[in-house]
Amino acid sequence: MTAVAPAAFQQANIDYLAVLPLLIVFGAALVGVLVEAFVPRERRHTIQLTISVASLVLAFVAILFATKHQGLTFGYTDGATSRRLFALAIDGPALFMQGALVLMGVLGILIMAERFGGVGSDAFTASGASTPGSPIEAASARAGLITSEVFPLTLFAIGGMMLFPTVNDLIGMFIALEVLSLPLYILSGLARRRRLLSQEASLKYFLLGAFSSAFFLFGTALLYGYAGSVYFGDLSKAVSDTSLGLNGLLVAGAFLVFVGLLFKVGAVPFHAWTPDVYQGAPTPVTGFMAACTKAAAFGAILRLAYVGLDTASWQWQNAVIIVAVLTMIVGAVLSVTQTDMKRLLAYSSIAHAGFVLVGVLAFDQRGVSSVLFYVVAYGFSIIAAFGLVTLVRQDGGEATHLSQWAGLGKSHPVIAGTMAFLMLAFAGIPLTSGFVAKFAVFAAAIGTGGATGTVLVVIGAVCSAITVFVYARVIVLMFFSEPADDTVEVLVPSVGTTFAIAIGTLITFALGVVPSSLLDLADRASQFVR
Amino acid sequence: MSAPYVPVLFMLALGFGFAALSVFTSLVVGPKRYNRAKLEAYECGIQPTPQAAGGGRVPIKYYLTAMLFIVFDIESVFLYPFAVAFNKLGLFALVEMVLFILTVFVAYAYVWRRGGLDWD
Amino acid sequence: MTSTAEAVAFWILGPLAVLGALGLIFARKAVHAALGMALTMVTLGVFYLIEKADFLGVIQIFVYTGAVMMIFLFVIMLVGVDSSDSLLETIKGQRWWSFIFVIGLAGLLIFTLGQVTFDAKTVQAGMDRLVANNNATGNVTGIAEKIFGQYVWAFEVTSALLITAALGAMVLAHRERIVPKRTQAEWAARRVKENQDVAGLPAPGVYARHNAVDTPALLPDGRPAAKSVSRVLVARDQVARTDGYRDVERYIEREIEEGRQK
Repeated sequence: MTAVAPAAFQQANIDYLAVLPLLIVFGAALVGVLVEAFVPRERRHTIQLTISVASLVLAFVAILFATKHQGLTFGYTDGATSRRLFALAIDGPALFMQGALVLMGVLGILIMAERFGGVGSDAFTASGASTPGSPIEAASARAGLITSEVFPLTLFAIGGMMLFPTVNDLIGMFIALEVLSLPLYILSGLARRRRLLSQEASLKYFLLGAFSSAFFLFGTALLYGYAGSVYFGDLSKAVSDTSLGLNGLLVAGAFLVFVGLLFKVGAVPFHAWTPDVYQGAPTPVTGFMAACTKAAAFGAILRLAYVGLDTASWQWQNAVIIVAVLTMIVGAVLSVTQTDMKRLLAYSSIAHAGFVLVGVLAFDQRGVSSVLFYVVAYGFSIIAAFGLVTLVRQDGGEATHLSQWAGLGKSHPVIAGTMAFLMLAFAGIPLTSGFVAKFAVFAAAIGTGGATGTVLVVIGAVCSAITVFVYARVIVLMFFSEPADDTVEVLVPSVGTTFAIAIGTLITFALGVVPSSLLDLADRASQFVR
Repeated sequence: MSAPYVPVLFMLALGFGFAALSVFTSLVVGPKRYNRAKLEAYECGIQPTPQAAGGGRVPIKYYLTAMLFIVFDIESVFLYPFAVAFNKLGLFALVEMVLFILTVFVAYAYVWRRGGLDWD
Repeated sequence: MTSTAEAVAFWILGPLAVLGALGLIFARKAVHAALGMALTMVTLGVFYLIEKADFLGVIQIFVYTGAVMMIFLFVIMLVGVDSSDSLLETIKGQRWWSFIFVIGLAGLLIFTLGQVTFDAKTVQAGMDRLVANNNATGNVTGIAEKIFGQYVWAFEVTSALLITAALGAMVLAHRERIVPKRTQAEWAARRVKENQDVAGLPAPGVYARHNAVDTPALLPDGRPAAKSVSRVLVARDQVARTDGYRDVERYIEREIEEGRQK
């Protein structure tokens, strides 16, 4: 055995302009923590909101600049083996996802910041450490304590989400997964009302999330054992080079890594957390999670499926097909039985995850662009929908039971009308973004997915039809039934929330009428670098 | 076999040996005149109770201390290889390390300013 | 190849690790389970050192046995040492179903991973490369070059995780003061102003055989002084009675008698 000569320390090549959007978001989160430390309580809310929104807008501008700096960065090419060891892949899908996440993040933060005239955010508790219902909790609220930490936490989550589809190796993907998850676990437990439910949601999300992270990590270890490297490029190449004897590592590793990622999108059978967490978490956080976590996780799934494990797709394809079918069916069927608005939207989001998986399984550039389009279309609609849920109140708390929404169309036609329109988008009715998104995904699956693609599309169409019934029921309830009692009121939102809901709804409409510009953009952005 | 760790092993054995020897010697040599107060468990100046107060639950503020300890423990995980390989790594790694420490100290500043380090 | 020393160490430490792991599962008390886990962790750390993974071994002992175990113990203590799990099934047949699924998953993994065959030559080549690397660069230095070289981004992003952890601990566990804490000077000023306990509260009782803080001092007429015991102990109902200490001589004689009988 020849001794390897000690190689000199090789420094990473960094294209700072390419990673500037990420640096801005993480930097703003750090500044937010410093604001928490040094700024007096009364001014924190305004300053935090300003920092968050400004940094996200700035990050969006930086993303536009980063499009000129595409390629692999934060690493080096190994001289001896000419392996490309780069941590980040700044390419079309990554930048598209980053842009979408930043914009959806702005809307999410605007809704989180809604105060309804109080001192702090209306959705978040004054003191997360106080026992629910205790005198200390009431005293904290009276004393004007606020949990403005939610803003830096959200920024950290957005940073992790932006990183998730951008990373080029499994270790980076794991860290991104944790960076985006940890803040969400905390945010889920900070609701102002029904705090026990919220804390239960947080605990469930944390425990199950920790399990899924463990699965992901175990899978990473097995894939490293298979390929001898964690980089997606090496993984993809290893399939042709490695002996067949190691195939067990590849199969088990791919399976476990996918479990970790499918958990985050809430695919069946890894969906058990979704309804409870969506219901228990503060509603603005639920909207933010439904839009952004899903988008980021699908970005990561795309990169894993198309860059890392593309050559081994025959090993894991069937498992993901089964998951997609189950997700669509379970999501659609169980949403029929729901009586709570937030749970209904949770099951609907599960069904949507199934539809997006159909696009992932197209294994084609069109599949990538259709998935990119779908998560953006769905994200803006769901943020607006959960924003509306925060407005409908009874006795101060959110009125999430469906019976409380009865007759809302007569007393509050604008709110009910907007909700009905968003429901139509979720159902996939023409002239909404939901229709175009579903069409794009299904077209991609039929076009290149072969016979399985066609079967998936048929199942998808049937499930869509089932969900149409669910959404139609809500619309009928709002417009054609008498209100059960008239103590249900609709709060008047501030400018920020109004703006967020309006933009979400407008984009839902615009993408339904003139989808071509975003479809083109998604098409041009669907090429991965390796 | 990893020879550099033999001294560590030796140190461990020495430590254990010293502890065992001390206990044994005091057992043999020390005078023993018991009374009730001496036989009671020492409970920080209060009467020992059969069950721990509050079901043996400690206040949540201990958790905060533990969590902070973990944060800085993990920071030192990175300091260890950095310190060992410092001469080889050069300026770039120094800058990275300083950045890392500064970011973690942002959390420290937050905890300090918000009273997380005050005991009551 | 496995050297004799390596084999000896393995056969001594291996059973210990298994013992610790079994203790983790079967110990009745949560703290004992945690200690069993600590034993397993330390043994694993030593295994890593034997396998020439210096960095991993040190970190295993340093972080896992030190920090993570500490968190475990704290969590157990937060929940309460005496608390036990509720075995009530909220979903019928939950335990059996989870058992079946666990067996299924384990079987699937064991079946797929069991089929893996390693080429002895490749494995040996890998080991040789590791040894050569360790000799040439050094294990810890090699890790450092990776952390600050190709994985520098992952390293920096980890700081975001650490900050989130600190933030989360504060938000969820730190109760912010609603009114600022009174300083000692403020207390003194208030006492003088109200002309109450100007000389400070009386100290707890000090007796020949008992000077714990839970025993009240005696007033000149022999009654216990209520103010001399901490409010916390009063609230917890942990204040000792002073009856025994009033008849001092009898008490001391009884104690001496007890000492003689032992």
